[in-house]
Amino acid sequence: MRLAKRNTIVLSVASAVVLATSACGGGLLSGSEKSSAGDASGPVKVAMLVPMSGDSAPTGAYMRNGAQLAVDEINAAGGVLKGRKLELLVEDDGCDAQQAVASANKAVSSGAVVSVGGYCSGATLPTLPIFNKANLPMIIPAANSQDLVSQGLKNVFLINGTGKQQSTAALEFMKKAGHATVALVDDNTSYSKDITTETQTQIEKDGSVKVLLNTSVTKGESDYSAVVRAIMGKKPALVYWTGYYQEGGLIINQLKKAGFTGAVMVADGSVDPSLAKIAGKSAEGVFATMTQTPETLKGAGAEKWIASYKAKFKADAGPFSTQSYDAVRLAAKAIGDAGSTKGADVIKALEAVDGYAMFSGPLKFTPEHTLTGGGFLILVIKDGKFTLANA
Amino acid sequence: MAQLIWDGLFVGSFYALIALGYSMVYGITKLLNFAHGDIYMLGAFIGFAILTSLGGLPASLSMGALLVVLMLSMLLTGTAGVVIERLAYRPLRGAPRLAVLITAVGVSFSLEYGVSAVAGPNPRAFPVRLEGGVFDVLGARVSLPQIVLMLIAAALMIALNTYVQKTSTGRAMRSIALDMTGSLLMGINVNAVITKTFFIGSALAGAAGVMAGAYYGKVDFLMGFIIGLKAFTAAVIGGIGNIKGAMLGGLVLGFIEAFGTEWFGGQWRDVFAFAVLILFLTLRPTGILGERVTERM
Repeated sequence: MRLAKRNTIVLSVASAVVLATSACGGGLLSGSEKSSAGDASGPVKVAMLVPMSGDSAPTGAYMRNGAQLAVDEINAAGGVLKGRKLELLVEDDGCDAQQAVASANKAVSSGAVVSVGGYCSGATLPTLPIFNKANLPMIIPAANSQDLVSQGLKNVFLINGTGKQQSTAALEFMKKAGHATVALVDDNTSYSKDITTETQTQIEKDGSVKVLLNTSVTKGESDYSAVVRAIMGKKPALVYWTGYYQEGGLIINQLKKAGFTGAVMVADGSVDPSLAKIAGKSAEGVFATMTQTPETLKGAGAEKWIASYKAKFKADAGPFSTQSYDAVRLAAKAIGDAGSTKGADVIKALEAVDGYAMFSGPLKFTPEHTLTGGGFLILVIKDGKFTLANA
Repeated sequence: MAQLIWDGLFVGSFYALIALGYSMVYGITKLLNFAHGDIYMLGAFIGFAILTSLGGLPASLSMGALLVVLMLSMLLTGTAGVVIERLAYRPLRGAPRLAVLITAVGVSFSLEYGVSAVAGPNPRAFPVRLEGGVFDVLGARVSLPQIVLMLIAAALMIALNTYVQKTSTGRAMRSIALDMTGSLLMGINVNAVITKTFFIGSALAGAAGVMAGAYYGKVDFLMGFIIGLKAFTAAVIGGIGNIKGAMLGGLVLGFIEAFGTEWFGGQWRDVFAFAVLILFLTLRPTGILGERVTERM
């Protein structure tokens, strides 16, 4: 608020001077334009709402770094729209709906033209109407609840596979690996529940796998003996956990301690190195449905990318670093294609993108604004690390 | 069924340990110390720091060494509790109840995000993990670490009860709970006794924190939030301000949760547990052992 006020003061002083001395207006006018926070010159502001506090903060850091890497690369190569630099505005959403709304309003009022954030679906969902009202395109790198696209908002694009696509991948794995019975466990959040509900629907439609149990746990606890007991009572061949990694690690550990011998699979929210650390030895052989992670990247370009990430941030890239990196690149490309930062033009440009090379493969959006192919892979934990299951 | 009872007992003994601190502090100062759950978290992190600084330990540390770490963590956590009382609560001793309550919430956030700033927001895997044999007792899977942890919890609770009932400080605590001004006039050093209360309550929560870290294998800076709420519930169910009530309330809450899950499914467990809390508040606001509410300790 204070900054905005100061800008107005600078502007009005400048225009007053211009009015008074209209003869030599040229130089002064260009000066005042610069201070008016970038409609035509100035940096192009890219907002990113990710959790920087709370229990999802580690992933937020991976995402911020991924996005920053792309921003720096694009700026080093000359920026967008004839030399305008990108500027990343990272706002904390704390994986919390209320904080996310406040951060989204802040992002809009500070002049962002595109959003490249969104990790927790529950926190991203309430920001949709805010960005939509401002006609601000959202390229969501990680959050992937079906609810995000089911409203059919024009400005929302998902570049992570959706819950639906993840459920399909999970079902395919169950059939392929011959797990005839399954227990679905979620943590009662929008993202997690979305996958269990969708998986159950698809399984029932398919008919070759049987759901023995579909239950929920409360996030943020240590003792999950209740759900473990419920699972042990039903003895499914596979447990599919769709929540995040902290609870996932604890549940896996407690399941194994209770003598569970079946297989365990986790969804993409649990794909984090911490999962194996928390679960300890019990994590070995746990499967996961996941889109590309830095660990599953292959090829020379990927190694170079991982090396430059490491050199810049002195840390390993993590889950959703690549997707965030791609979200920024995609935003820059769309702005370049549109030739402006106007929301409507950028959205049109995003819809027209066809075959743009990203880590998840060539990009083309469906009419629903999701990826054409979900790009889900099956990973397995080996020696504490997520690796491709069939490699 | 046997498994259900055992699981309820085990979780309940954790709730009871933390509920004790809530109850003692409330009984004596009428303060709902909402930072108490975070003291539990602080204890877990202190244990984590001690074990990490020892470094290079074999993963299967002997039970004895772990007990020493537990004692040390209790000492440090207790001291932290005393410091918090001195800095945040004592200056507000005569202030309206609401002001103190809000201060407690403030202390809670300071602890959470202070630890997050120092130790980082990432969850940490505890350096020592309790592993041990598993027995079959009447159809329930019971593991050695579970038995040891419950024995420690029981020993701490018995020691506390003896302390409060038999020693002069314990008598002073009970008299302050009855009438603070009166105790002051009788020559009891109220501040010193309150300091001791905070020390004991915090040390117990710290013990629970270290034990949870070693048993579940994970510590993170928000781990105290939900368990703090649960411990508060346990204290209310048992009769807040009543030491035996806190122990009983912890176990009852453990059972309620175990049976709630069994009957209604996991997604209804907390609904059931807190519905029971509401029932208690409406039908028997003084808790199970409420008849002793006149003598709050």
